[in-house]
Amino acid sequence: MNLRSSQDKLRVGLLLLPGILMFAIFTIYPIIKLFLMSFTQWDFGSMMDHSFIGFENYKAVLSDETFRIAFENTIIYTIVTVPGQMVLGLLAATFIHSIPKFQVPFRVIYYIPVITSWVIVSLVFRYVFNTEGMLNYVLTNVLHLSESFIPWLDTRWGGSGVAMMLGIWKGVGWNMVVFLAALQSVPQDLYEAAEIDGCGSFQKFFKITLPCIKPTILFALVMLTIGGFNVFTSIKMITGGKPMHQTETVLTWMYYKAFNTGEFGYAAALSFIVAIVLVFLAVLQFRAMKNKDAN
Amino acid sequence: MKFKLTQKTTKNIILYVFLLLGGAVSIMPMIYMISTSLKPNGALYEFPPHFFPSLEQLTTENYSYIFSQEKFYLNFLNSVVVAVATVILAAFISTALAFCLARFKFPGRKFLFGLIIGTMIIPGTTLIITQYQLADFLNLTNKLWGLIPFYTAWVIPFSTFMIKGYIEGIPREYDEAVYADGGTVFTVFFKIIVPLASPAIASVSIFNFLTAWEEFPWALTVINDNLKRTLPIAISGFFGQHQFTQWGYVFAMSVASLMPVLIVFICFQKYFVSGLQSGGIKE
Amino acid sequence: MKKENIKKALMLVLSVFLILGIATGCTNSSETDSDQETEPVVINFWHHYSAQSAENETLMNVLIPKFEEENPGYKVNAVSHEWAELHDKIIVSASSDSLPDVARLDIAWVPEFQKMDILVPLDSEMADFNEVAGGLLDSAMSTGYVKGNYYALGLNTNTKILFYNVQAFEDAGITAPTTMDEMFEAIAKLSGTNENGQQVWGLNEPALAGWNICPYIWSYGGSITNDNYTKATGYLNSAKTVEIIQKLADMYADGQLTGFNSGDIPMTDGFGTGRYMMLLEGPWKSAEMDGAYPDFKYATADMPAGEAGSHSVLGGEDIAMFKNGNSEGAWLFMKFMTSEFAEEEMAKCGQIPVNKEALESDTVKNADFAPFLNAITTTYARPPVASWSEIDNALSVAVTDIIVNGADAQATLDALAETVDGLLAE
Repeated sequence: MNLRSSQDKLRVGLLLLPGILMFAIFTIYPIIKLFLMSFTQWDFGSMMDHSFIGFENYKAVLSDETFRIAFENTIIYTIVTVPGQMVLGLLAATFIHSIPKFQVPFRVIYYIPVITSWVIVSLVFRYVFNTEGMLNYVLTNVLHLSESFIPWLDTRWGGSGVAMMLGIWKGVGWNMVVFLAALQSVPQDLYEAAEIDGCGSFQKFFKITLPCIKPTILFALVMLTIGGFNVFTSIKMITGGKPMHQTETVLTWMYYKAFNTGEFGYAAALSFIVAIVLVFLAVLQFRAMKNKDAN
Repeated sequence: MKFKLTQKTTKNIILYVFLLLGGAVSIMPMIYMISTSLKPNGALYEFPPHFFPSLEQLTTENYSYIFSQEKFYLNFLNSVVVAVATVILAAFISTALAFCLARFKFPGRKFLFGLIIGTMIIPGTTLIITQYQLADFLNLTNKLWGLIPFYTAWVIPFSTFMIKGYIEGIPREYDEAVYADGGTVFTVFFKIIVPLASPAIASVSIFNFLTAWEEFPWALTVINDNLKRTLPIAISGFFGQHQFTQWGYVFAMSVASLMPVLIVFICFQKYFVSGLQSGGIKE
Repeated sequence: MKKENIKKALMLVLSVFLILGIATGCTNSSETDSDQETEPVVINFWHHYSAQSAENETLMNVLIPKFEEENPGYKVNAVSHEWAELHDKIIVSASSDSLPDVARLDIAWVPEFQKMDILVPLDSEMADFNEVAGGLLDSAMSTGYVKGNYYALGLNTNTKILFYNVQAFEDAGITAPTTMDEMFEAIAKLSGTNENGQQVWGLNEPALAGWNICPYIWSYGGSITNDNYTKATGYLNSAKTVEIIQKLADMYADGQLTGFNSGDIPMTDGFGTGRYMMLLEGPWKSAEMDGAYPDFKYATADMPAGEAGSHSVLGGEDIAMFKNGNSEGAWLFMKFMTSEFAEEEMAKCGQIPVNKEALESDTVKNADFAPFLNAITTTYARPPVASWSEIDNALSVAVTDIIVNGADAQATLDALAETVDGLLAE
């Protein structure tokens, strides 16, 4: 719309101002500062004097064995939890959408893990997966599925695995709500037409539902990938990176490097690498979905 | 006809069974948390372990301890203040931004929208170092209200994106009518956009409330004083020592902090799906 | 109808906002008001007495009120952090000049913070330093001495001794071990399963850092560095050090030692429920056990002696003030916290005083500090070097690799020694 008067222009400016200010000060400025910082030597030995050191911090990050482990863990966490949440969330949404009664109670129940804070659910999972915890007792002494207690939290894949289970368990509800919204906006007459053509439930799902909710799938995919890279609190509370930094993720390692050993330059470079990877992944995901559209 | 009906019923029964199973998995950990919070601390490593405390074990000592702590109420209030203020600030700012982006052409519009999408992709925690320096520079460290601008800035991109999508679905004829009556941009914003976009605003507000209510790394880093801590920091403080965790207290406090969110959610849950429905998830 | 509801909800939210706005406005204005009046000066004090401990109760309800009564111009804002978190918080705050005025520091951190140039050299800045320091034990004061100056006052001291499960020892017909060999035998004998079929471990260590493994290394005849703390090669990878670490690894593999994995039972619970038979712990353990497992019977003994004798690790805390803080108030508070009164009160919660007069008090004589005071005479300190936190990290990663993953002890410690050499040279 073209603005009618200079007064209206002023009013639009006034509406934009708080948002742009907030955004510029609290988001854009820190991003630029982080970028600059990643090229300087910035640690406790050089608190006052930040000399430009080119790509040294990036080299240090990329040649760091623990960063490699943390990056691997993060990628695997994302690869496992994103599809896990989406599939289960879509299933739950489809089921809830098709039942005639009690939609609301199910919605609420499935959403409870989402509204419970990460700190709390991480502690609950830590308690449940404790080697002497309830789960091992049930698996070993009641169901006799295991000879001895499984040390869930003590190994790299055990600890990461518990964090992944937590990630999926906590994320299903969010996906359920997002997909439920999408399902409700699929035109009902498409289904009716399909029924006349004699399509079964599965065919309807794959031929009508999935194509119709594709934008939502893409949206969820991008948001969840970001969420996967953002995993922090659960790892910090469940394993704390133990054993031997084997369960660190990119962000817990960044936090450790910045706030435990004071290597801010290193941590800034690490943050930037993560950001670049995420932007790259997002572009890739959009491209992939667009290409499929073309076919 | 009759056959078809029974087939449908069987299908529904199967759906209910699956949903009930999934629901059980969803709330089992929460129930275990509640049952543990009702056990005395000494019974946590008993053998054999019980899912529910036995009747003679049943105790409210963990709750009476938590509720006797003055700090708990303060931490609770801190979380409420920060979350509510973030929700309101973010709702206003993002709705205004979304309205301008959806309805007007102004220089740099595409660039601004691109930046908003771009920053949505970068996890907030990656900026923690420079945001910490900024907070220090602005004298916002170790201040409760100092959390609010940062949380608001974190949630603005996502909120703006969602609300913009919803506003684009509101017919422009409504705006035109107001302009024809001599209304200004403000009139359109407050009389048309805010009321009509309220389902979207409500649904992002619930997300924003949760984000601020449960935020952990940032509050852990910038807040020092015990009395200024928010609930997640207070709860993790109980856990702290690796030699000795008073799980009973941890879980009692967790249950107490979960209740208000649960109540807010149950009250507002109907706006949840409807707000997302015609929201930003469109091409 | 539905729209109306949403409107109502929004109005409600809006009014909450207004009320909040007014409330913050009020607090802001009252803050500016108070600047004009003569409000007491606030001393910010950070510590790691854990939030639910008797020490914290004493600090908040006895010591600080008493200090504020004696010094009417001051108010103390005490902030409790978890131990590791306190270290990180000080690092972060140092980078942004938001340090507190005074803090209770683990003695192992003093050299590191001194190197960061954030501590005040007390002997050159405080006129009555010698008077105050003279009232405290020399051994405790030496922990605050770095490169020619005193940067901290000793606050409390401690070490770890052996705690054991009396019933289990009686049942097995053994007595408290006095040598490391006897200890290993007892550990092997007591490990296994209990009547419920649950696993029982002879020895518990809650972590694998220097604080945990040094007593074994030193008593066995190994070491971390040379006496000047300049070299680790030849010490950290000496035959004796390698042997004892390998022994710990064997014990872990045989199910005789545990506690440092994320999923393990916490130390106090494991000891109180009879799952861990022995542990090395400090004087605070008694208060913890009385609180959580009052009926449990345990006893203590010296750290069992190895070839090199019985050498536990010296622990304890100092109190120090930071630069750019309120040094006058901080110094008053430091003197108060190390006074006979404060030290005696803290002794009631298991903190061993370093104030000479407090050590003579009845409280200390009646407390069960004797075994600890006795053990302290033979303890060694962790290397007082600026890079200790980093060395400790590297040490714990390497030892975990050997004990948990079964890495080759010699090769791993060789590599570690080289890393530590580099850190010591910094």
